[in-house]
Amino acid sequence: MSNRKKTDDAPGNDTTLPVQNSRRNFLKGLSIAAAACSASLATGCLPTTARAAESGEQFALQWQEYFKKHYRLMTQKEKDETVARLERQAKLQSGLDLQISTQAPRENVLYGYAFNITRCEGFMECVAACIKENNLDRKAKTQYIRVFEMEPGQLDPGTGDGKYFHEVPVDNKFYMAVQCFHCEKAPCIKACPTKATWREPDGIVVVDYDWCIGCRYCQAACPYFGRRFNWAKPSIPKEEINRKQHYLGNRIRPMGKMEKCTFCIQRTREGKLPACVEACPTGSRVFGNLLDPESEIRFVLKNKKVFRMKEDLGTDPKFWYFID
Amino acid sequence: MKKTICLPPLTMPEKMVRTLLFFFIIGWSLLHPHVSAASEGSVLDRIGIATAPYDNSAVDSVQPITEETVAAKERNQGGTFKILARKKNIERYPCSSCHNGKPVAARDGEALTHGSVSIDHGREGSSLSCIDCHHRDDKDFLEDKKGQKIDFDHSYLLCGQCHFRQKRDWLGGAHGKRVTYWAGARVVYNCTTCHNPHAPRFAKRFPATYSPPSE
Ligand code: HEC
Ligand code: HEC
Ligand code: HEC
Ligand code: HEC
Repeated sequence: MSNRKKTDDAPGNDTTLPVQNSRRNFLKGLSIAAAACSASLATGCLPTTARAAESGEQFALQWQEYFKKHYRLMTQKEKDETVARLERQAKLQSGLDLQISTQAPRENVLYGYAFNITRCEGFMECVAACIKENNLDRKAKTQYIRVFEMEPGQLDPGTGDGKYFHEVPVDNKFYMAVQCFHCEKAPCIKACPTKATWREPDGIVVVDYDWCIGCRYCQAACPYFGRRFNWAKPSIPKEEINRKQHYLGNRIRPMGKMEKCTFCIQRTREGKLPACVEACPTGSRVFGNLLDPESEIRFVLKNKKVFRMKEDLGTDPKFWYFID
Repeated sequence: MKKTICLPPLTMPEKMVRTLLFFFIIGWSLLHPHVSAASEGSVLDRIGIATAPYDNSAVDSVQPITEETVAAKERNQGGTFKILARKKNIERYPCSSCHNGKPVAARDGEALTHGSVSIDHGREGSSLSCIDCHHRDDKDFLEDKKGQKIDFDHSYLLCGQCHFRQKRDWLGGAHGKRVTYWAGARVVYNCTTCHNPHAPRFAKRFPATYSPPSE
């Protein structure tokens, strides 16, 4: 009768994905191919064999990708072009048919999130769903969400157990999940030297992965441990790759970039709930439009006892905790 | 928490390009106009002045959900809404195939009766009994306290009689959950999509995954 879906942690054969847009690869390619290719590009005489043509195309794609603009300065046409290049690259390199969206924020929408700490049972379906939805590195076990098993009365996840693996819920414990809070006054944005991370008009704090230089200042600046760093090429079994992607969301991040929860921008901008909300079997996660007085999230803010984490820091998160 | 960063050794051209890139980026970030977000002011300020309902049909990518739904018989702050239907999920429905007025002969024991139904609902020592919820004469329906019939798709009307707070929160959106979309017409889980009415507490189980130690 209960509607809970079992999630199997398929071990599978990890195929390491070629990084779509690696500057290193590009540079390597550059030194080898420079002489031959630039000559043929300049004169317009393309290589004759199909293989050579393909690698020529890959080279041209990498070249153009390398010198593209910051996402926020792109026109829609330029966005469409970079997406087309990224999709083509994925096709050439791994035979994947991706759909990378650049869906803009919707007007009169400001996303907000609420988490019921009395209701959560610690099943971690949210974490499992997030890994799949957002193409997270299976080998490094990157996770955007962390669930803590907490002693009654405590509200600082630092005091909780974030590594539990036993039958849940344990009597007299409660569970509390932490992820990026999409602060209105986000310290990570201020810390970024390349303006590679910013807050969109619908409130989602995003990263331009191609503009990020991996300095990790943002990670140090975040008081909530919301950000993750790609130490290695992400490895995901090919058949598990989520092909529905967003430029600012779950597209596969190259090595050496910062990433984090984007409220599943690829879903939410299409009207869907984030994957964690959809997966939660207990209904502990409430998501919606803060600017809509009729939304569930507004009901929670109005009728429940809510609090935000480390509110005194003035970060103004759009993520509330509440109790029944 | 701490980890040393091990960068692979750089070749000469790479170093040059990186250095160039660094200055390029710094220069760029100093020069290019500040693209600021739409608003200033705190979230609560913005929420405070947002009083006009959002037009949920504005999100054109919302598709009808695949599960069967029915219109709820109650309204919430947003007006009417839908719930996941239940009758299709009840294997033995219609119950009147056996409960049809004639005495039901319990010949085949468990298979024929409801051996699988065991009640763990209510206060210790005073579990609920079948007819607290099921209609006394017409088993195709549930029954409210006044003896009125309640359709199986609308069991929230039954539960809400004893669980007033949860029902109110469910209507408003603080208990239970929406199906797939935050936008579009509101569709929510029924009480019995999540709770087994005969033993409503969630069973303990192992988590779906685990977290490795953090960085
Ligand atoms: C296969 C035949 C069969 C079907 C179908 C069936 N029942 Fe029964 N049911 C029985 C039998 C046999 C008994 C036990 C005899 C009795 O008490 O009348 C019983 C007893 C009950 C009782 C307890 C008796 C009482 O009146 O207190 C309830 C409540 C009940 N059934 C509900 C349902 C509901 C609800 C459905 C439909 C979802 C259903 N049954 C479908 C055969 C059936
Ligand atoms: C708390 C109220 C409540 C009580 C008490 C209760 N039921 Fe039910 N029962 C329900 C509801 C609500 C449903 C419909 C569940 C759904 O939506 O799937 C149901 C469904 C059923 C069904 C069909 C589904 C199934 O599990 O096979 C049977 C049979 C049934 N009840 C028998 C009984 C019997 C026998 C008793 C007494 C021992 C009983 N019920 C006590 C509320 C109750
Ligand atoms: C006739 C009154 C009555 C009805 C109708 C009723 N319940 Fe209950 N329910 C109770 C009582 C009494 C308790 C025990 C409350 C307590 O311990 O404080 C309870 C407890 C619960 C619990 C908590 C269980 C636990 O062990 O923590 C849940 C969940 C629940 N009910 C769900 C439902 C659902 C879903 C429905 C509708 C299908 C429903 N109830 C219908 C009386 C009712
Ligand atoms: C999304 C799934 C979901 C839906 C839908 C849902 N509940 Fe619950 N409910 C829960 C969870 C999870 C708990 C925590 C229960 C536990 O510990 O077993 C809970 C707890 C309860 C409790 C115990 C007291 C409490 O507040 O913790 C009652 C009573 C209850 N629910 C009634 C209802 C009623 C009535 C409805 C329909 C109006 C409903 N629920 C709909 C998931 C749900």
